[in-house]
Amino acid sequence: MPGYLYILVSLALFFIGTTGVLLRRNALFVLMSLELQLGAGSLALLTFARGLGDQKGHVVAFFLMALAAAEAAVGLAVVVSVYRTNKTIDLDGVNELRN
Amino acid sequence: MNLMLHAPSQLEKVAFMALAAGVLGFALVTVTRKSAVGALMALVGAFCALAGLYATLSAHFLAVLQILVYAGAIMVLFIFAVMIMNRDEDNPIALRGLFLRATGVIATGYVFYRAAWIVVRERQTDVLSTASTLPIPDYGTVASVGRILFTDFLFPFEAISLLLLAAVVGGVLLSRPSRPSDGGGAI
Repeated sequence: MPGYLYILVSLALFFIGTTGVLLRRNALFVLMSLELQLGAGSLALLTFARGLGDQKGHVVAFFLMALAAAEAAVGLAVVVSVYRTNKTIDLDGVNELRN
Repeated sequence: MNLMLHAPSQLEKVAFMALAAGVLGFALVTVTRKSAVGALMALVGAFCALAGLYATLSAHFLAVLQILVYAGAIMVLFIFAVMIMNRDEDNPIALRGLFLRATGVIATGYVFYRAAWIVVRERQTDVLSTASTLPIPDYGTVASVGRILFTDFLFPFEAISLLLLAAVVGGVLLSRPSRPSDGGGAI
Protein backbone atom coordinates (compact mmCIF):
# COMPACT_ATOMS: atom_id res chain seq x y z
CA MET A 1 0.00 0.00 0.00
CA PRO A 2 1.24 3.54 -0.67
CA GLY A 3 2.83 5.14 2.36
CA TYR A 4 0.71 8.28 2.38
CA LEU A 5 -2.32 6.24 3.43
CA TYR A 6 -0.39 5.07 6.49
CA ILE A 7 0.53 8.67 7.28
CA LEU A 8 -3.15 9.65 6.99
CA VAL A 9 -4.11 6.87 9.43
CA SER A 10 -1.34 8.06 11.76
CA LEU A 11 -2.61 11.65 11.56
CA ALA A 12 -6.18 10.56 12.28
CA LEU A 13 -5.04 8.47 15.25
CA PHE A 14 -3.00 11.37 16.62
CA PHE A 15 -6.01 13.66 16.21
CA ILE A 16 -8.25 11.23 18.11
CA GLY A 17 -5.63 11.06 20.87
CA THR A 18 -5.34 14.86 21.02
CA THR A 19 -9.13 15.19 21.25
CA GLY A 20 -9.12 12.73 24.15
CA VAL A 21 -6.38 14.64 25.98
CA LEU A 22 -8.25 17.93 25.50
CA LEU A 23 -11.79 16.80 26.27
CA ARG A 24 -11.61 14.06 28.90
CA ARG A 25 -11.36 15.09 32.53
CA ASN A 26 -10.50 11.68 34.03
CA ALA A 27 -6.69 11.40 34.35
CA LEU A 28 -6.76 7.70 33.38
CA PHE A 29 -8.43 8.47 30.06
CA VAL A 30 -5.95 11.26 29.41
CA LEU A 31 -3.08 8.77 29.88
CA MET A 32 -4.79 6.29 27.53
CA SER A 33 -5.15 9.04 24.90
CA LEU A 34 -1.44 9.83 25.34
CA GLU A 35 -0.64 6.18 24.56
CA LEU A 36 -2.71 6.49 21.37
CA GLN A 37 -0.69 9.55 20.37
CA LEU A 38 2.59 7.68 20.95
CA GLY A 39 1.29 4.79 18.83
CA ALA A 40 0.48 7.23 16.02
CA GLY A 41 4.04 8.58 16.24
CA SER A 42 5.50 5.07 15.94
CA LEU A 43 3.32 4.34 12.93
CA ALA A 44 4.60 7.46 11.15
CA LEU A 45 8.21 6.54 12.03
CA LEU A 46 7.83 3.02 10.64
CA THR A 47 6.12 4.31 7.49
CA PHE A 48 8.94 6.72 6.74
CA ALA A 49 11.50 4.05 7.60
CA ARG A 50 9.88 1.80 5.00
CA GLY A 51 9.71 4.61 2.46
CA LEU A 52 13.38 5.47 2.93
CA GLY A 53 14.44 1.82 3.13
CA ASP A 54 16.32 2.60 6.35
CA GLN A 55 15.92 0.58 9.53
CA LYS A 56 17.00 3.36 11.90
CA GLY A 57 13.33 4.32 12.16
CA HIS A 58 12.66 0.91 13.67
CA VAL A 59 15.28 1.53 16.33
CA VAL A 60 13.76 4.91 17.17
CA ALA A 61 10.29 3.33 17.34
CA PHE A 62 11.77 0.76 19.73
CA PHE A 63 13.07 3.58 21.97
CA LEU A 64 9.67 5.26 21.73
CA MET A 65 8.10 2.06 23.03
CA ALA A 66 10.46 1.99 26.04
CA LEU A 67 9.66 5.67 26.61
CA ALA A 68 5.93 4.92 26.52
CA ALA A 69 6.40 2.20 29.13
CA ALA A 70 8.34 4.59 31.39
CA GLU A 71 5.72 7.29 30.87
CA ALA A 72 2.89 4.90 31.75
CA ALA A 73 4.67 3.71 34.91
CA VAL A 74 5.44 7.20 36.24
CA GLY A 75 2.17 8.73 35.00
CA LEU A 76 0.02 6.07 36.66
CA ALA A 77 2.06 6.36 39.88
CA VAL A 78 1.40 10.11 39.88
CA VAL A 79 -2.32 9.50 39.28
CA VAL A 80 -2.46 6.98 42.14
CA SER A 81 -0.65 9.45 44.39
CA VAL A 82 -3.07 12.24 43.44
CA TYR A 83 -5.99 9.90 44.09
CA ARG A 84 -4.64 9.14 47.57
CA THR A 85 -4.41 12.78 48.55
CA ASN A 86 -7.49 14.19 46.76
CA LYS A 87 -9.81 11.14 46.56
CA THR A 88 -10.47 12.12 42.95
CA ILE A 89 -8.68 11.91 39.62
CA ASP A 90 -10.91 14.49 37.99
CA LEU A 91 -8.38 16.85 36.43
CA ASP A 92 -10.67 19.85 37.02
CA GLY A 93 -10.66 19.04 40.73
CA VAL A 94 -6.88 18.91 41.04
CA ASN A 95 -6.06 22.58 41.51
CA GLU A 96 -4.35 23.04 44.86
CA LEU A 97 -1.44 24.85 43.22
CA ARG A 98 -3.82 27.52 41.95
CA ASN A 99 -4.70 29.35 45.16
CA MET B 1 15.30 5.32 -6.65
CA ASN B 2 12.81 3.24 -8.58
CA LEU B 3 9.59 5.17 -8.96
CA MET B 4 7.72 2.27 -10.54
CA LEU B 5 5.21 0.97 -8.04
CA HIS B 6 3.83 -2.50 -7.86
CA ALA B 7 0.08 -2.32 -7.64
CA PRO B 8 -0.98 -3.57 -4.20
CA SER B 9 -2.76 -6.89 -4.33
CA GLN B 10 -6.41 -7.21 -3.42
CA LEU B 11 -5.60 -9.02 -0.16
CA GLU B 12 -3.14 -6.30 0.82
CA LYS B 13 -5.83 -3.65 0.25
CA VAL B 14 -8.42 -5.54 2.29
CA ALA B 15 -5.95 -6.14 5.14
CA PHE B 16 -4.91 -2.48 5.23
CA MET B 17 -8.50 -1.23 5.18
CA ALA B 18 -9.59 -3.63 7.93
CA LEU B 19 -6.61 -2.81 10.16
CA ALA B 20 -6.90 0.95 9.62
CA ALA B 21 -10.63 0.84 10.37
CA GLY B 22 -9.88 -1.28 13.46
CA VAL B 23 -7.26 1.14 14.77
CA LEU B 24 -9.40 4.23 14.27
CA GLY B 25 -12.64 2.62 15.46
CA PHE B 26 -11.09 1.20 18.63
CA ALA B 27 -9.33 4.52 19.29
CA LEU B 28 -12.65 6.37 19.01
CA VAL B 29 -14.25 3.88 21.41
CA THR B 30 -11.34 4.37 23.84
CA VAL B 31 -11.73 8.13 23.86
CA THR B 32 -15.53 8.18 24.13
CA ARG B 33 -16.23 5.29 26.52
CA LYS B 34 -17.60 6.09 29.94
CA SER B 35 -16.32 3.06 31.85
CA ALA B 36 -12.56 2.71 32.28
CA VAL B 37 -12.57 -1.07 31.76
CA GLY B 38 -14.41 -0.80 28.44
CA ALA B 39 -12.00 1.88 27.27
CA LEU B 40 -9.03 -0.31 28.26
CA MET B 41 -10.36 -3.27 26.28
CA ALA B 42 -10.84 -1.02 23.25
CA LEU B 43 -7.27 0.26 23.76
CA VAL B 44 -5.98 -3.35 23.62
CA GLY B 45 -7.91 -3.81 20.35
CA ALA B 46 -6.46 -0.58 18.94
CA PHE B 47 -2.91 -1.65 19.81
CA CYS B 48 -3.36 -5.13 18.31
CA ALA B 49 -4.67 -3.59 15.07
CA LEU B 50 -1.74 -1.14 15.15
CA ALA B 51 0.64 -4.11 15.46
CA GLY B 52 -1.05 -5.55 12.35
CA LEU B 53 -0.37 -2.28 10.50
CA TYR B 54 3.30 -2.50 11.58
CA ALA B 55 3.43 -6.03 10.16
CA THR B 56 2.06 -4.84 6.81
CA LEU B 57 4.94 -2.33 6.78
CA SER B 58 7.21 -5.41 7.20
CA ALA B 59 8.29 -4.24 10.66
CA HIS B 60 7.87 -7.71 12.15
CA PHE B 61 10.08 -7.15 15.19
CA LEU B 62 8.22 -3.97 16.17
CA ALA B 63 4.84 -5.64 15.58
CA VAL B 64 5.65 -8.40 18.07
CA LEU B 65 7.11 -5.88 20.53
CA GLN B 66 4.00 -3.73 20.23
CA ILE B 67 1.80 -6.60 21.37
CA LEU B 68 4.23 -7.66 24.11
CA VAL B 69 4.84 -4.19 25.54
CA TYR B 70 1.53 -2.36 24.97
CA ALA B 71 -1.10 -5.09 25.06
CA GLY B 72 0.92 -6.92 27.72
CA ALA B 73 2.94 -4.77 30.10
CA ILE B 74 1.32 -1.34 29.82
CA MET B 75 -2.20 -2.80 29.91
CA VAL B 76 -1.41 -4.61 33.18
CA LEU B 77 -0.29 -1.29 34.68
CA PHE B 78 -3.51 0.37 33.55
CA ILE B 79 -5.66 -2.46 34.87
CA PHE B 80 -3.98 -2.15 38.27
CA ALA B 81 -4.63 1.60 38.25
CA VAL B 82 -8.30 1.00 37.33
CA MET B 83 -8.55 -1.55 40.16
CA ILE B 84 -7.26 1.02 42.66
CA MET B 85 -9.60 3.82 41.56
CA ASN B 86 -12.56 2.23 39.87
CA ARG B 87 -14.77 5.23 39.44
CA ASP B 88 -16.73 6.03 36.32
CA GLU B 89 -17.05 9.64 35.41
CA ASP B 90 -20.40 11.30 35.99
CA ASN B 91 -20.24 13.15 32.72
CA PRO B 92 -17.29 12.23 30.50
CA ILE B 93 -17.10 15.51 28.63
CA ALA B 94 -16.48 18.48 30.85
CA LEU B 95 -19.04 21.28 30.54
CA ARG B 96 -16.92 23.77 32.45
CA GLY B 97 -14.71 25.63 30.02
CA LEU B 98 -16.38 23.83 27.14
CA PHE B 99 -15.97 26.82 24.85
CA LEU B 100 -12.20 26.90 25.41
CA ARG B 101 -11.90 23.14 24.89
CA ALA B 102 -14.07 23.23 21.77
CA THR B 103 -11.87 25.99 20.40
CA GLY B 104 -8.83 23.83 21.08
CA VAL B 105 -10.36 20.83 19.32
CA ILE B 106 -11.39 22.91 16.31
CA ALA B 107 -7.89 24.43 16.11
CA THR B 108 -6.19 21.00 16.28
CA GLY B 109 -8.70 19.69 13.74
CA TYR B 110 -7.71 22.47 11.37
CA VAL B 111 -3.98 21.79 11.88
CA PHE B 112 -4.49 18.09 11.14
CA TYR B 113 -6.66 18.91 8.13
CA ARG B 114 -3.84 21.04 6.72
CA ALA B 115 -1.28 18.30 7.49
CA ALA B 116 -3.44 15.69 5.75
CA TRP B 117 -3.83 18.03 2.79
CA ILE B 118 -0.03 18.38 2.49
CA VAL B 119 0.43 14.59 2.73
CA VAL B 120 -2.14 13.99 0.00
CA ARG B 121 -0.55 16.67 -2.20
CA GLU B 122 2.93 15.14 -1.81
CA ARG B 123 1.77 11.55 -2.24
CA GLN B 124 3.78 10.99 -5.43
CA THR B 125 7.15 11.55 -3.76
CA ASP B 126 9.50 8.61 -3.23
CA VAL B 127 9.18 8.48 0.53
CA LEU B 128 5.39 8.52 0.64
CA SER B 129 4.81 5.89 -2.04
CA THR B 130 6.09 2.68 -0.47
CA ALA B 131 7.30 0.21 -3.07
CA SER B 132 6.30 -3.40 -2.69
CA THR B 133 9.85 -4.70 -3.02
CA LEU B 134 11.84 -4.80 0.20
CA PRO B 135 15.00 -2.65 0.36
CA ILE B 136 16.96 -5.58 1.82
CA PRO B 137 15.79 -9.19 2.18
CA ASP B 138 15.78 -9.30 5.99
CA TYR B 139 14.24 -5.86 6.44
CA GLY B 140 12.61 -5.40 9.86
CA THR B 141 13.56 -8.79 11.29
CA VAL B 142 14.95 -9.25 14.79
CA ALA B 143 18.41 -10.00 13.44
CA SER B 144 18.78 -6.94 11.26
CA VAL B 145 17.13 -4.43 13.64
CA GLY B 146 19.11 -5.92 16.54
CA ARG B 147 22.37 -5.51 14.65
CA ILE B 148 21.74 -1.76 14.25
CA LEU B 149 20.51 -1.52 17.84
CA PHE B 150 23.74 -3.00 19.23
CA THR B 151 26.19 -1.24 16.91
CA ASP B 152 25.11 2.29 15.96
CA PHE B 153 22.66 2.76 18.82
CA LEU B 154 24.45 0.98 21.65
CA PHE B 155 24.80 4.08 23.82
CA PRO B 156 21.15 5.21 23.48
CA PHE B 157 20.12 1.62 24.20
CA GLU B 158 22.02 1.59 27.48
CA ALA B 159 20.75 5.09 28.29
CA ILE B 160 17.14 3.99 27.76
CA SER B 161 17.66 1.01 30.06
CA LEU B 162 18.85 3.47 32.72
CA LEU B 163 15.74 5.60 32.04
CA LEU B 164 13.50 2.56 32.53
CA LEU B 165 15.24 1.78 35.83
CA ALA B 166 14.73 5.38 36.96
CA ALA B 167 11.05 5.19 35.92
CA VAL B 168 10.52 1.99 37.91
CA VAL B 169 12.15 3.46 41.03
CA GLY B 170 10.24 6.72 40.58
CA GLY B 171 6.96 4.85 40.15
CA VAL B 172 7.50 2.87 43.33
CA LEU B 173 8.50 6.01 45.25
CA LEU B 174 5.51 8.03 44.00
CA SER B 175 2.84 5.42 44.58
CA ARG B 176 4.10 4.42 48.04
CA PRO B 177 1.68 5.53 50.73
CA SER B 178 3.20 8.36 52.75
CA ARG B 179 3.86 7.60 56.38
CA PRO B 180 3.92 10.59 58.69
CA SER B 181 6.70 9.02 60.78
CA ASP B 182 9.47 9.17 58.16
CA GLY B 183 8.43 12.44 56.57
CA GLY B 184 6.59 10.66 53.78
CA GLY B 185 7.93 9.30 50.52
CA ALA B 186 5.06 10.58 48.42
CA ILE B 187 4.55 14.23 47.66
